Amino acid sequence: MRRLYRDGLGALALVCCVCTSTAAAEDLIEFLNGSTATGTVKSIRKADREFDFEMNVGGRTFTRVFPFNKVHAVTYRGNRFELTPKVAADAAAEGSEGRSEAEVKALIAAAGATPPDWFESTPLDYPKTLDLSWPLKPPTPGWKSHKNMGQYIWSVINENPPRWRSGIKLIHHCVSLHQDDPVLLKRDMNALGSAYFRLMQDYARAAFWYQQGRPDMTTRDGIQLAECYWRLGNREMALKRLRRGPVNIGAIKLLGDMGELAWALRLTERYQNTNFDYQANILAADALRGAGRLDEALDYYQRVLDSKNFRNEDYKQRFLARARESMETIRLYEQADVSQVADGTYRGSSTGYNGKLTVAATVADGRLEAVKVVAHKEKQFYSALTDTPAQLLEKQSVRGIDGTTGATITAQAIVNATAQALAEGNQ
Amino acid sequence: MRRLAVALALSLLAAAVLMAGGSAIAQPSPAASTLPWFADLTPSQLLRGTLAGVLLVVAAAMVLAHFDRRTAALFRWDCFLPAIKRLRGGQTASRSALGRLVRRVVPGRLQSDWTTKRRGPLRRGLRWLGLSWSSAPVRRLVQSVSLLTFLILFFYVLWPYDARPAPPGERSADWTFQAVDQASGDFTFQGRTALPWQPAAGQTVYVSEPASAAIPDPVVEAFSFVSATDDEVRLAPAEDYGADLFDTFMMSTGTWTLSERDPQRWPSHLADNVAGKQWIPAETFLVIDPLVSLSTAIASRSWVWSLTSAAVILLICVLVPRGFCGYLCPLGTTIDLFDWAVGRRIQRFRVAGDGWWVHIKYYLLAGTLLCAVFGVLVSGFVAAIPVITRGMLFVFDPLQTGIARGWHQVPPVNLGQWISIGLFLAVLSLGLLRPRFWCKYVCPSGAVFSLGNLFRVSERKVESSCIHCNKCVEICPFDAIKPDFTTRTNDCTLCQSCAGVCPTHAIKFVDRWNVVELKAPNQPPTGETALGRRGFLSLAAGTAAAVGGASVAVGVTKAWGANVDDPDAFRPVRPPGSVPEKEFLEMCIRCGECFKACPNHVLQPEGFQQGLEGLWTPLVNADWAGCESSCNACGQVCPTGAIRQLPLEEKKAARMGLAIVNESTCLPFAGRGECDLCVQECNAAGYRAIEFKQVGTEIGADGQPIAGTGMAAPVVLADKCVGCGLCQTRCVAINVKAEGLLDASAIVIEAGEGKEDRKMSGSYRRQPEPQTPASTSNDSYYVPPQADPAPAAPADLPAAPIEDDNPFGL
Repeated sequence: MRRLYRDGLGALALVCCVCTSTAAAEDLIEFLNGSTATGTVKSIRKADREFDFEMNVGGRTFTRVFPFNKVHAVTYRGNRFELTPKVAADAAAEGSEGRSEAEVKALIAAAGATPPDWFESTPLDYPKTLDLSWPLKPPTPGWKSHKNMGQYIWSVINENPPRWRSGIKLIHHCVSLHQDDPVLLKRDMNALGSAYFRLMQDYARAAFWYQQGRPDMTTRDGIQLAECYWRLGNREMALKRLRRGPVNIGAIKLLGDMGELAWALRLTERYQNTNFDYQANILAADALRGAGRLDEALDYYQRVLDSKNFRNEDYKQRFLARARESMETIRLYEQADVSQVADGTYRGSSTGYNGKLTVAATVADGRLEAVKVVAHKEKQFYSALTDTPAQLLEKQSVRGIDGTTGATITAQAIVNATAQALAEGNQ
Repeated sequence: MRRLAVALALSLLAAAVLMAGGSAIAQPSPAASTLPWFADLTPSQLLRGTLAGVLLVVAAAMVLAHFDRRTAALFRWDCFLPAIKRLRGGQTASRSALGRLVRRVVPGRLQSDWTTKRRGPLRRGLRWLGLSWSSAPVRRLVQSVSLLTFLILFFYVLWPYDARPAPPGERSADWTFQAVDQASGDFTFQGRTALPWQPAAGQTVYVSEPASAAIPDPVVEAFSFVSATDDEVRLAPAEDYGADLFDTFMMSTGTWTLSERDPQRWPSHLADNVAGKQWIPAETFLVIDPLVSLSTAIASRSWVWSLTSAAVILLICVLVPRGFCGYLCPLGTTIDLFDWAVGRRIQRFRVAGDGWWVHIKYYLLAGTLLCAVFGVLVSGFVAAIPVITRGMLFVFDPLQTGIARGWHQVPPVNLGQWISIGLFLAVLSLGLLRPRFWCKYVCPSGAVFSLGNLFRVSERKVESSCIHCNKCVEICPFDAIKPDFTTRTNDCTLCQSCAGVCPTHAIKFVDRWNVVELKAPNQPPTGETALGRRGFLSLAAGTAAAVGGASVAVGVTKAWGANVDDPDAFRPVRPPGSVPEKEFLEMCIRCGECFKACPNHVLQPEGFQQGLEGLWTPLVNADWAGCESSCNACGQVCPTGAIRQLPLEEKKAARMGLAIVNESTCLPFAGRGECDLCVQECNAAGYRAIEFKQVGTEIGADGQPIAGTGMAAPVVLADKCVGCGLCQTRCVAINVKAEGLLDASAIVIEAGEGKEDRKMSGSYRRQPEPQTPASTSNDSYYVPPQADPAPAAPADLPAAPIEDDNPFGL
């Protein structure tokens, strides 16, 4: 009886095997976003790196052409082939900790080899007057933002979010135009890395192009490459680059963000009594404040106030305002204790990247219910406008809020303004 | 029997007219929601419908006449209240079947007692209202309804301020595409939380790229809802979706936003509001004023769509000659009210009923049409409905706006408007000379109907029972009864007041060819020639006056005119969808309807900037307000097509002008301070036609720009700007008025060659220009060779799949 049962099971298993083998005649595509489709691979064009795929959906038959770089893997006639590593998708999940160096490198290489999703559908759109030969130095004196490419990036692309995608496409276009001129190419690729970093927060692609451009660590680009490594999940790669001799002043902020405060302060000391002391000091002070070392932070902010080396009046006003508001916020930390604040909605203002920023904070039953940026002039760093209020609500405190990537000043302004608003409600 | 046979024949003819072409009752094409329901009505449908209607009405009248007593008329239009007189036994007050029906239906205690001659409450009530009410109540009632309709169309339909934008709808972000269910074809999405709203099965759910300023044209796909669990939503694609839908979702690595309403939809609440309220066209009265369309068509030498409506009303007025003037014209009714309230109290200016002025209207009409022949449109100054429309606009619209929305919303009045108000008051004051002096002797629109009366099929007739009592002459509002009590057929409006006061019931309104029991003509003698009163003398003098007046008008207008061909001449910004300037000046009737329809008074009447030629034409005053993106009302109500009726899809692409930034005053350009008002306004309206440019950037010693220096200044994108003027309005409101920083707006809408789209026909939507060659090929994503991690396979491999271990060439 038992044997009979076992035989029956065997027969059943055999039937199952037959089933799976017929099912295996169907090919399976796994896309980079995790979705799958079954159908038949009709033909493969290795040279064009694409294949034709026929699938039956809802009773209709469709044939699509899929490029290799959009497909993670194909199970073709029972064998699975991985076409593109499934990392481009993970790159979006920034700050994932603990990737090995090899993983980070693979991720960067994979991302860099493929254009972003939007690349094809974005028009290449630039003024006819623009000089695409883009010499290293602007050939004509003065600011001609519709002629000189670098000035066009600065004046037009950076300023207009709707132009960011087409702007990056334009720099790509320059890269392909300058492929025979290594000097221009290096500059172009660094510009591309910078654009992916600043505008898209696409660290994998930014790192890829920076790696091609090999920026010096004394430039912002060099520091940003290090930051890419850190953001992509490998701290050691970032630190290794920062140890390579002299670094740009921006390293202070990066080190602060990474928690390497002692190093950051050592670096800051080198800038004392130079023309950049106020910049170094404010970066150090922000880092100390973020780490909760408030007394030292106040000390460094005071150094900013005491500086005599401001580049011009405009700089002076902005740095002084930021330092003062930050000191004020630290002093308000006690008063801005949400549990002490009476119910109601309070407003506070602070200086953002582009000017005054106003926040409305709503408190009910000793809890922060809502933080809303009601007025601002920020044109880029939108992420901070939603990200920072969310952090404030989560922590129920104005202390220890991280600066949103690439939007430190805006994030800090929101925190400062919220602290001010809460302090007002605590009087 | 003869009448029944003719009626049957006419009914068959009507049916034939309706069926002709087979498309008379054709399904209208699905009209855009932003236009009223009648936008799709074709002229031939309208004309055939009217002709059939007229024929059927005549047929019905003939059937009714068959049941009348003691009449040989083919049909009769009697709708007056007969003078009360004592009846003998067996005699009826009314011969007509309809009249007897009324007497049977109306309760007896309301009626007069015709054996004792005691007046009933109905007649006494009407008599209390006035003699004209008790003699021809139907006419007075129609007049009242007509004036009321005019006022409702003008003051209620064209008052869109109750319109509210559609609510934004629910939205949920961070959904990832999971898979296509290949069995059912459904797309599944996974989210972090459940959908915040519960769509019904089949309800549309929009899937779009996440909203971001960096994505100017996000992908939006409409799906219909199938089912949802806590964090998964199942959606069915639209019926016949394209295969590229798979590419969109399968090959993308981003997240999606699910929305209840189309996140990219263009607001249309103002257009919908005006379109929805128009159960009949807001400009109904303007389009049935035949002089409006006739003169416009002549002046512009083009087909004017309202000619159809003019034909319709002229066709109807074949039945009721000059019925427009007697029954419908709101100006006539207003003049009646003025005469009743003011005119009858002031007798000192009265003139005789006969004089050189009695034929002015014909010569005015001749002069107007003569001007039109030379391309100068003056009919708007004198045609009946434009006069009353402008009168209402300039006198009562400021009151309505001031009281309902605040006096600060009333735009300032220019000289041209005062002239129009003066003209309106002058038309009313003519009533001091004689009641309805304007209508009888001056109105050129009325003259068109008078000429149309030559084709009348019905007529006022006087029977031999006339006792020469003169009551009819006294009550006639149109001076249409000769001294012998017969009819001046060109002037009679069939108002029937005369019949109501006739003590012997001698007046009837029957077919033109009825000659039964008629009174002998020219008794007493009238002294009128075949050409009417005044005869040849007036014909010669009048023609001379018409020709002279027309040539002066043409000369003055052209000499101090718009100089359309001169590039330096004043070029006002016209409403969206205006035809080319030369045609615009020939087609704009200056009725003022668009000013009334325009929310916030963006459109204002031009003064003398273009001389006489541009007087009262609409121009965009962007200092006052900007053109609302969700509105197309001006085109909806324009009676002549000078402003084309555009669905919102077209209107939002039609360029009225181009915003020009004054770089010497604009605050950031001048280095005076940060300002992005115009950009904010433009983005909020949805055009996104102004972008930023960093100006005043300082350059460091290294040639690099210094961060933090310079300011973002506005730059207008000429291919996106439609010249709505919202930016200018905002600059004026804040920088000029509130802050006092500027003397005039630093961004100004300008019209002129290349800055505006002025088309007689065709679409305004710009076709995407072919891309520069580099962008079409994908080699612009160039990766330097040493970095390419996956070198391309050798090109000589066969294209077909081959049995190898490495089919993908990895």
